[in-house]
Amino acid sequence: MIAKIICYALQGLEGVPVEVETDVCKGIPAYEMVGLPDTAVKESKERVRSALKNSGLLFPMNKITVNFAPADIKKEGAAFDLAVAVSLLKASEQLIGANVSDTVFLGELALSGELRPITGLLPILISAKGHGFTRFIIPAGNASEAAYLGGAEIYPARTLSEVVSHLKGEAQIAPLQTVTFVPHARRRQTADLKFVKGQPIARRALEIAVAGGHNLLLVGPPGTGKTMLARCLPTVMPDLTFEEALEITKIHSVAGVLGEEGIVSERPFRTPHHTATVVSMCGGGNRAIHPGEISLAHGGVLFLDELPEYKRSALEAMRQPLEDGKITVSRAGGTVSFPARFMLCASMNPCPCGNYGSADKLCTCSPAEIRRYRRKVSGPLLDRIDLQVEVDNVSYDDLTSREASEDSAAVKARVDGARAIQRERYEGAGIHTNAEMGEREIAAYCALSAEGDAILREAFERMQLSARARSRVIKVARTIADLAGSETIEPAHVFEAVSYRIYDKLG
Amino acid sequence: MTKEEMLLTGLMLTAPERLLGALSRALSSELCAADTQKNCLPVIERAVKRVYKDETPPSARERDAAVARMEEAGIFAVTLLSADYPAALAAIPDPPPVLYGMGNRALLQRRKFCIVGSRILPAWAEKTGRTIAEALSKRFAVVTGFAEGGDRAAIDGAIASGSLICVLPTGVDIAYPAAHTALRREVVKRGLLLSEAAPGAKAQKFSFYARNRILAGLSEGVLVLAAGERSGTLITAHRALDYGREVFALPHNVGAAQGVGCNEMIKAGAWLCTSAKDVFAAFGMETEESPAAALSEREQRLLSVLRETGGQHIAALAERAGIPVFEASAVLSSLEMKGLAVRAGGNRYSPV
Repeated sequence: MIAKIICYALQGLEGVPVEVETDVCKGIPAYEMVGLPDTAVKESKERVRSALKNSGLLFPMNKITVNFAPADIKKEGAAFDLAVAVSLLKASEQLIGANVSDTVFLGELALSGELRPITGLLPILISAKGHGFTRFIIPAGNASEAAYLGGAEIYPARTLSEVVSHLKGEAQIAPLQTVTFVPHARRRQTADLKFVKGQPIARRALEIAVAGGHNLLLVGPPGTGKTMLARCLPTVMPDLTFEEALEITKIHSVAGVLGEEGIVSERPFRTPHHTATVVSMCGGGNRAIHPGEISLAHGGVLFLDELPEYKRSALEAMRQPLEDGKITVSRAGGTVSFPARFMLCASMNPCPCGNYGSADKLCTCSPAEIRRYRRKVSGPLLDRIDLQVEVDNVSYDDLTSREASEDSAAVKARVDGARAIQRERYEGAGIHTNAEMGEREIAAYCALSAEGDAILREAFERMQLSARARSRVIKVARTIADLAGSETIEPAHVFEAVSYRIYDKLG
Repeated sequence: MTKEEMLLTGLMLTAPERLLGALSRALSSELCAADTQKNCLPVIERAVKRVYKDETPPSARERDAAVARMEEAGIFAVTLLSADYPAALAAIPDPPPVLYGMGNRALLQRRKFCIVGSRILPAWAEKTGRTIAEALSKRFAVVTGFAEGGDRAAIDGAIASGSLICVLPTGVDIAYPAAHTALRREVVKRGLLLSEAAPGAKAQKFSFYARNRILAGLSEGVLVLAAGERSGTLITAHRALDYGREVFALPHNVGAAQGVGCNEMIKAGAWLCTSAKDVFAAFGMETEESPAAALSEREQRLLSVLRETGGQHIAALAERAGIPVFEASAVLSSLEMKGLAVRAGGNRYSPV
């Protein structure tokens, strides 16, 4: 008898339906798997055999053939175990009367018959729902992740025997209750701007960067709180919407880094180490194509501490995704596109010894050394960083004692205001923030007064700003004007924007 | 080039390295001692004989070939016998018999003033140096080296007007430091590169010391932007004193390591210089008042705070001026553009 069970394979962030066909017929006992299964899938043979035995079910001593269709896509991982087991049971007539035709089975089996959670469940569920499937049996360990998918019957099972009794109608598994999304459902972050003392310039730059979606470079000696400032970035970013959360969760689910909560309710904050390779930054891998750090930071912040220490190749590979907001990875196994719309925040020392510009310590680096150090970060990458600010190590006890630092919530309120202005302005324009403006949008939305234009011209002559820096300055000025609630870009806004481009002057 | 000049240049170009120093000294002392430079062939021959002793000096063919090669590379030679050899330089005890040059030779006839400074100097000193060089370049050819920092400030200030002479420790066809390759081309185009070292010569330890005597020898005065206690810049200043030139120095904060040398010089009697006006005054030149930049009320307030404090962190400046920090950064940007303030690193600003 032949049994057909639906399962899903992952290609990037998309689920692809796979039919598991099993034929049990008379002959010399054998157990064959065909249809381009990889090693992990082939090994399911032994897991399924043991799981059946240990669940009190019969492993048929006949000739068994399992086929995965379509045969041309590579099947990877252990997510097919449950589908293979159920199809085997169906084919060996141990599930008479059970309707399994329009149910999707997902899960890895333990030898004991328990179901283990799989990676990439949420993207599979979303794709399958799009394909018209509404009934799913999944491992209980994935329940929290699946609970956010409304409009489907999802049965979380702990063991194979539970699945069998459910299918036979002996003991129903309670379907999963849909959970509504709440941003910051689990706030674990302890970072808050109120703990950042002093640093008025950096705080202001942080606010502008988030308000306009600009990238940020923090330059300062070691131990001045660059990392702490960066960690505050997600706390002032706008709340995640359900759609954004779902998209981020999909990526994290595929990468297998999803936490207990099942859905990502905080904006991600990724801090890859500076030994990161191109593949770990952008995604890839020799078998399954995994999302890289830039995709894991999608919707959140990618923080690169000590920017010049990163491999040049890893940094350069980020340039195109920084513009496009997505990365396309091609491998022998296929081509996959991952979203990668993130905010880049980088930090670096001002010079090799770290004391350049310090109030109390003398910098011992020669100008050539400083230039060599800074040249490790390429111009094109710096060009994509709109705001460059210095973080200094001066203690401002006298200043900070008088006025307590503002907390993240207050800053976030202003950011939300500026974002609302931008949403309204870019209604239907296909962009969301000032940072995404192209030359056409700049011409349309960033009209400078004659005075403002004169200032900018003077700034370029006097400060030797690069021509490419011009549009960056204008975009930042636009954001500063939005924060101030000003319709037009005033000279003061231009001046302030110019002050955040220290590296263009240093060359 | 006259026959004598050809001979002199050819001898200097073809001399083996081990004899070059001796030949240079012998030639300059013999030529300076000679009463008349009208017929100096025997004088030159005497010097050559003294240096080469038993060896045969390079033949006329070799010498002419070397000169032709040099001229092909676009390099000219100014010798002690040339009419345009700077008189001030010829008056020092050991003038170089031949100077190689690239660029605008006419600059040698201008009045010359030297600006030097150590390679690492405070931002305000760099900015002030640029401003002074720019102002001085209207009346003088600004003479300086080719290093980073102080030299660079002088170059940046004077290059626009073209009144700029850079004296190199290497051959004039070599960019040292290598990062200045593009800058070297620019100086050749607008100003003048000079060197005592033959084309192609690399920098040696002593060549900086030797170069510094030319800097001082060429100029009527020397301004030191910044010098530590044992800075090489002080060599130029000491040579200038030896040669009886005017020495100027920028005053620095007490305790600032990068300015100890300058302050010591002022104590010892150097001119205290804060602007180009001080230099013009010392030479009895008249100065015209530059019109004050129009400042808004906020700029005025922040500028006065800046001048009162003598440079501070932006947060402290904003606090004293009573305006929010981010507005202060806008105002300071504007002051920076008007050339009244300078960013000193670490979010600190200094008045200029």
